[in-house]
Amino acid sequence: MGVFEFMIGRKKPTPGEVAKERLKVALAHDRIKVNPELLELIKHDLLKAISQRMEIDEQHVQVNMAREGGFDKILADMPVKRQKIAFEWDPPSHSPAASALKGGPLHVEIERMRDDK
Amino acid sequence: MDSRVITITSGKGGVGKTTTTANLGTALAMMGKKVAVVDSDIGLRNLDAVLGLENRIVYDLVDVVEGQCRLRQALIKDKRQPELYLLPAAQTRDKNAVNSVQMEQLCQQLRPEFDYIIIDSPAGIEQGFRNAIVGADEIIIVANPEMASVRDADRIIGLVESAGKPEPRLILNRLRPEMVRRGDMMDVADVLEVLGVDLLGIIPEDENIIIAINKGEPIVYDKRTKAGRAYFNAAQRILGEEVPLEEVTEATSLMERLRRLMGFGPALTERRVRS
Repeated sequence: MGVFEFMIGRKKPTPGEVAKERLKVALAHDRIKVNPELLELIKHDLLKAISQRMEIDEQHVQVNMAREGGFDKILADMPVKRQKIAFEWDPPSHSPAASALKGGPLHVEIERMRDDK
Repeated sequence: MDSRVITITSGKGGVGKTTTTANLGTALAMMGKKVAVVDSDIGLRNLDAVLGLENRIVYDLVDVVEGQCRLRQALIKDKRQPELYLLPAAQTRDKNAVNSVQMEQLCQQLRPEFDYIIIDSPAGIEQGFRNAIVGADEIIIVANPEMASVRDADRIIGLVESAGKPEPRLILNRLRPEMVRRGDMMDVADVLEVLGVDLLGIIPEDENIIIAINKGEPIVYDKRTKAGRAYFNAAQRILGEEVPLEEVTEATSLMERLRRLMGFGPALTERRVRS
């Protein structure tokens, strides 16, 4: 949200809105002193963690600090290319599914592509 | 009788600390409270002039702290309010002439004599600011709705919290409702959202304030002025009275947002939770 709202949805923010958005970012930096290098590391870590489950469009990832309602927050904007949901399913032995499988877990893989317009 | 020490501070200079101190002090005295206003801006004395008492100074805060005179000798009785007293700052001394321990002792000395002790803090975040807050029960932050002032206010809020003081309340000074309506100035809701503190009052920009300072008469005496009424309302809120924010009646949508912010609606909480 925040700055990106303006990039995506609305055309031209008023000077009052610009001031508020600039302030939010400035205050978050002032308060917890996050330098750009640290933010870059956080972005890298987030990408590494999330990429195990989803394919992220790395070109368009934005990670920033902001301050709202008295709290500092990390705002991560990560467009999803495709979901990778893959897991092993080991049903409990008393369930009918277990006898049907006759030992060995079931490998489940679900994939969903982004709805490109 | 429980006395309260309230410090008025801002970080940034020129946002209206001294005017706010003079007006809140005068308004509380008008409501029958016994009040001392203390100018802790050593070397840059100004509160005396805003109250029109600049010609009556004999002793000052540093004289009291150093034992050159008794507290009562340094306190100047206001011209119009029999229950309002000023403890002026020293003009010819260095701002490091007083330390935190001495300031805390001074507050303890004032407490038995007054209901409210209102301390005007110097600008900045150095020793003078620390001295001003050390003995305070409550901190009021004055900010203008512009970036530099709000940014400094945020810094001050952090310092106040780390000093173990309760969360400060905000007086938003010099708000220009027409500019807010045009979208050219941040509105009250924006500033409160960014700073995450409670609001004590909104003082609209009013050229009558300059006239009042020129005359040495706090604007709270003139209830026909918007700023005068706004300061009076803020003082009532210090006493715990619930006074609606009548001062920004020009914009309906703004009023609506304010009402929500003051706790009469769910909007702000929703907003805080959502993103």
